[in-house]
Formats: sequence, structure tokens, C-alpha cells
Amino acid sequence: MNGRRPTRPRALGAALVLAGLLVAAAVAVVLLGPSSGPSSADPALPASPRSALAPKNVPLGPRPVVYWAPVLRAEAARQRPAGPEVVADVPARTPEGTANIVLVLGQAERTGGQLWVRVRAPGTPEDVSGWMPRAALGGYTPVRTRLVVDRERRTATLLRGTRPVFRAAVAIGAPATPTPSGDFYVRNQLHRYRSPFYGPVAFGTSARSPGASDWPAGGFVGIHGTNRPDLIPGRVSAGCIRMANRDILRLARLMRVGTPLSIR
Amino acid sequence: MSDLTLETVDHSGAIAETFDELGGGTRADFFRRSLIGGAALTAALETSAVARPRNTAKDVAILRFDLTLEYLQAAMYSEAERLGEISARTLEWARVVGANERGHVRAIRGLLGRDAVKSPRFNFRGVTEDDRLFTETAVAFEDLTAALLKTQAVQVDSRHVLAALASLHSVEARHAAWIRHIAGIVPSADAFDEPTSKAKVVDLVESTNFVTSAVRTKGRRRPRYTG
Repeated sequence: MNGRRPTRPRALGAALVLAGLLVAAAVAVVLLGPSSGPSSADPALPASPRSALAPKNVPLGPRPVVYWAPVLRAEAARQRPAGPEVVADVPARTPEGTANIVLVLGQAERTGGQLWVRVRAPGTPEDVSGWMPRAALGGYTPVRTRLVVDRERRTATLLRGTRPVFRAAVAIGAPATPTPSGDFYVRNQLHRYRSPFYGPVAFGTSARSPGASDWPAGGFVGIHGTNRPDLIPGRVSAGCIRMANRDILRLARLMRVGTPLSIR
Repeated sequence: MSDLTLETVDHSGAIAETFDELGGGTRADFFRRSLIGGAALTAALETSAVARPRNTAKDVAILRFDLTLEYLQAAMYSEAERLGEISARTLEWARVVGANERGHVRAIRGLLGRDAVKSPRFNFRGVTEDDRLFTETAVAFEDLTAALLKTQAVQVDSRHVLAALASLHSVEARHAAWIRHIAGIVPSADAFDEPTSKAKVVDLVESTNFVTSAVRTKGRRRPRYTG
């Protein structure tokens, strides 16, 4: 039997393969043939219009340095929500007639049927933190800048995030009326007044000069221009921070009300 | 959603309670002005050389109104996220929805180009600092926006703007259903949703007093700082 191949099984296999191919071809004709697809008489669907928008998610972005809120009605800041102990009376107006503002410290508590929020407000001699009814405050505004005054170097630096965007030489308080150190904030901005002494722009802050407690408008420290640029840098003022007029104008373009102020 | 009011979603009365505390604050007529502004804009664009050929005057007016509503929603979610006073569970969905709403603002602004309105100022009156109030207000505004977009869909001229509104509508409807479910409110109580008119939206937004005017922090008085 060596050298002989079986002929019948081979013929049977070939017949089976052929039969399989015929079945596959028949199935393909049934599935893909013209009788199963849309006839030429069927209406074609119109193309969908392209949307005029291509919205994508937008992440939150960098956290602001702080939020501030205007004081809508005069109210006390209290040691605790709805508590009896008052840490500061917070008027609705500054001595300059602008809206008074407080910094929002990011804590809220519902007590006695109303929402209370913790804020920072001007105090004596330093800012105080206390609780005020949320209803006494207006909408929150984010602030992304911070002003740092270095008394030793007599410079003012405005930071956006961690990046310095402004730096200028300043004059500060004389030894008898020093500029206070601590953390404060910018409360308002004045301009177009008639006083060369304060230069073209003046910012009011929450800081109070310790040597000017009997000052008529509360002895608040300002950041302003000057008609004596020859005294900058120096220790010459009654507590205010003075800078050259060109610098205060530049600062006014960059710094918004509510900016936290660190005096070192 | 046939009677879409704050009361519809403010089951516990928490939102109304907060607004009552305010004792009638500043009346937000921004949206009311927006209605008048829409008509004025239509007239202006008919004779203006700055009209964008892609958007008809009517479509511009509709998109400007939508942009203002998207500003409100985006600002509310962003403020809540940043203040961090709402619970971690609420913050989880607020982050997702907030990113969507900010995306809507950016996209509609891009579509309107120079015709885009600026964002008004908002005072959320504690809503962004109170979990329950925040959730209920979010439901109210998502429902409101979905209902408004449905009304506008049959009013727009451009098929491209129609497609845009449809894509916004489905996302706002999903927001509404998601937050409703979380808040324990049935996502689809009725078999059909009724559309809502722009005037009804204005009334509802005004009732919240969320839109405010700017406060005066600049003055011209002579400084009385220590000098």
C-alpha cells in the first residue's frame, strides 16, 4: 500500500468544500443583494445641520486670592454667628462716601434662621474677623492681586498670583507716626479731587495709623501720589504710603478695590 | 413642568425663606432690559454694517438672552466651587455641571462675537454657601434653561443655531434630571414638557434678585487719609 493515495476521501472533501462555497454565496446574495437594501425609490435622509456651537468643558481656573462683598446695611460683626459679642460696627459707607466693603473669609453657618458668613472688617488698630448676616452683604467679587509694602526697603509690589506685576519706591510714616504693619485691604479709590498733596489717585485702606487716632475720618492709611516726589523713598508721612504720581497712575490701572494689603 | 416657578422646586420653602430675609433688595431688571434690548438690537442690526452674516438679528437676540442665563448659571457654579462651603457630595456634581456651563458661555460668546453681551453682576445671597439652597436653585435653573431652549428652538432662523440649541437643550435636560434625582425630586413627572416663554424666565430670574447693579467703590471726594 505504500505510495498509493486514497482517492475517494479526497473527492468527498472537495465536494464538501464546493457545497460550502455555494451556500456562502447564496447567503451573501440574500444579505447584500438589492432586495434587502433601500430601493432607488426610497427617500434619502437629509444631512444633519452642523451645530453653530462646539462647546467644550471649561475648567474652573485659578482660585482668586480673596472675595470681597459690599456692606448693604450697617451691621455689627460678631464674635459668633448670632452671638451677643460685637467685634466691630461695620458701616455701609466709608468716610469718603463710597460703599464699604469687607473681605469674605470663606466660612458660612446657618444660625437663628439666617445664614452668617465670616468676614474681615476694619478694626482698631488691626483688621478684625467676625460674623455678619449674609443678607447684610452684596454679591461677592473675586480679587486676583495682592499688594506687599516693605517698610525696610520702602517698596510696594503688586503680585498677580505669585508674579510681580508692579514695583515702585514709596515713602512711609515718620518715626512718630509709623505706617502700621499687618494684613489689611484696599477699600476704595478716589480720583479727580482737588488736592495736589494726594496726587492724581488715592486708595483708601483698612489700616489705621497708630499715631493719628484723633484723625477726623478715623485715621485710615491711604496709598496715594504726591506733590513732593523728592521725599520718596523716605520716612516722612503721617502713616500713608506715598509714591510718585506716574507710579500711582500705573498702580491704578492694575489694582482693584478689595486687594489684600500686607505691610511688613 | 407646566407651572415652572421657584415654588415648583422649592418644596421646603428654603429659597423663598432666604429671599424673604432680604426684605426686598435691589430689583434685578437686567433680564427685563434684555427683553427690550432684544427688540432694539433687531432694529439696530437691520441697518448696521456690523451684522454678522451667519446670525440673523432674531438669532442674535435669542443667543444674547441665552448667554445671560448661561452667565448666571456658570457664575453660580463657579462661586460655589471656589467658596467650598457646599458638601463634598454636592461639589462632585457641581464641578461637572459648572464645567459644562462655563463651556456654554465660552461657546455662545464665540458664536456671537462682537454681539455678545457682558456678564451682569450677581449676588447669590447665600445660595452658593448652603447645600440645600444650592441644589434646589440648581434644579430650578436647569429646568428653566431646558424649557426656554425648547421654546426658542421653534423660533430661530438658522438650522445651525437650531442644532446648537438642541445640543445645549439635551445637556441642560440631563443636568436637570441628574440634580433632580440627587435632590429626591422625580426627574420626569409628566409625559410631556411644556415650553416656557422668555417673559416667564425674566419673571423667575427677577424673583431671585440674583442680578444686581455695581456698587460704588470709587469716589471724587477729597481724601482724608492720614497723608
